[in-house]
Amino acid sequence: MLDNLGEEKSIYLQISEMVEDEILRGILGEEEQVPSTTELSKFYKINPATAAKGINILVDKKVLYKKRGIGMFVQTGAKDMIMEERRNNFYETFVKKIINEAKLIGIDKEELKKMIDGSNGT
Amino acid sequence: MGVLAGKNIVKKYGKETVLKNIDINLETGKIYGLIGRNGAGKTTLLSILTAQNPATEGTVTLDGEAVWENEKALSRICYSREISQVTMLGTNNLKVKEYLATAKAFYANWDEEYAKELIKLFKIDAGKRIRGLSKGMLSVVTIIVALASKAEITILDEPVAGLDIVAREQFYNLVIDEYANTGRTFIISTHIIEEAASLFERVIIIDGGEIKFEENTEDLLARAYRVSGSAEAVDKAVSGYKVYNTETIGGFKVAILLAEEPGIDFGEEVHIEPVSLQNLFYAMCKSAEKGA
Repeated sequence: MLDNLGEEKSIYLQISEMVEDEILRGILGEEEQVPSTTELSKFYKINPATAAKGINILVDKKVLYKKRGIGMFVQTGAKDMIMEERRNNFYETFVKKIINEAKLIGIDKEELKKMIDGSNGT
Repeated sequence: MGVLAGKNIVKKYGKETVLKNIDINLETGKIYGLIGRNGAGKTTLLSILTAQNPATEGTVTLDGEAVWENEKALSRICYSREISQVTMLGTNNLKVKEYLATAKAFYANWDEEYAKELIKLFKIDAGKRIRGLSKGMLSVVTIIVALASKAEITILDEPVAGLDIVAREQFYNLVIDEYANTGRTFIISTHIIEEAASLFERVIIIDGGEIKFEENTEDLLARAYRVSGSAEAVDKAVSGYKVYNTETIGGFKVAILLAEEPGIDFGEEVHIEPVSLQNLFYAMCKSAEKGA
């Protein structure tokens, strides 16, 4: 069972993105301890090796760091780092998709701009 | 790291060949999933790997030592088989606690406290007779034996058959706990693929008495693709690939295929999605049916 994990991408990538999301939302603060791979694997019913792979990506990116014998912690500055990375990918991951869909259903640039201006940003 | 290895295993029942020349290396410290259709040879393979059934040809070794009639090797392995309400001698009149006592005598590392905890957790009446248990409760007894055996290599044959969703979740949690705490090896066969797939570090797919795949689950799924779009575009995009199954509705076509590597670009004309283990397995079975 994969509560809210989908099949869109590899499970370990979903795990690392979820931890990042929690950091962005402030659910996981900087210098706070991250759930252990066992906790993650039980929560999402995934193999502990997969959970560890997801966590290790974040260690490699220096979002998390390991305290020997205690566990994984959120690095100071992690939130800004994730934000910057996501900002850099924003066009590729989101904007391009919107433009493609808009083209497909015949919404032109002007109309799209109006929609963005008209949205109240929630 | 230990290895339970089967080499050139052939099993024949009379004229029928149930296993054809199987080679398999199961490394300790991993959770394996074994999937295959009914009659694919799963139970036969598991019983041969655990020396409960002699192979017609081939050898099974644990860390290089033959397993057959080798008490030392066998004491490291638990194969908790399905229990029947009926035995060859008539109905199974053993009480659950008597059955568990037999298991306790059999497994050197048996953890009696843990067995008691599991009895409580699954709310099973140990005074009940095996013959009076439901299908789900029979599964629970095999799960208790497997877990409490504390065997280094623990094999479960369809442990969740007949279990409700709550008990299945409990079972998956117990396996994760045990695995995380002890690094025990689990080999689990199941027909309920979807919910267990992410538990398996490696998956073994068996069909028609042969092993089709033995691979890291994520690696296998990373090179599986669901390609969809207009029939023409899909046909063009997937040509040259190993396509297992296609379905067409009107001019729209979906193809499930397995490539050699992940991240292949099939072009702008088609839509690409990942494939779940269950859907990949289904497509393989359809392909095998057509081939037969």
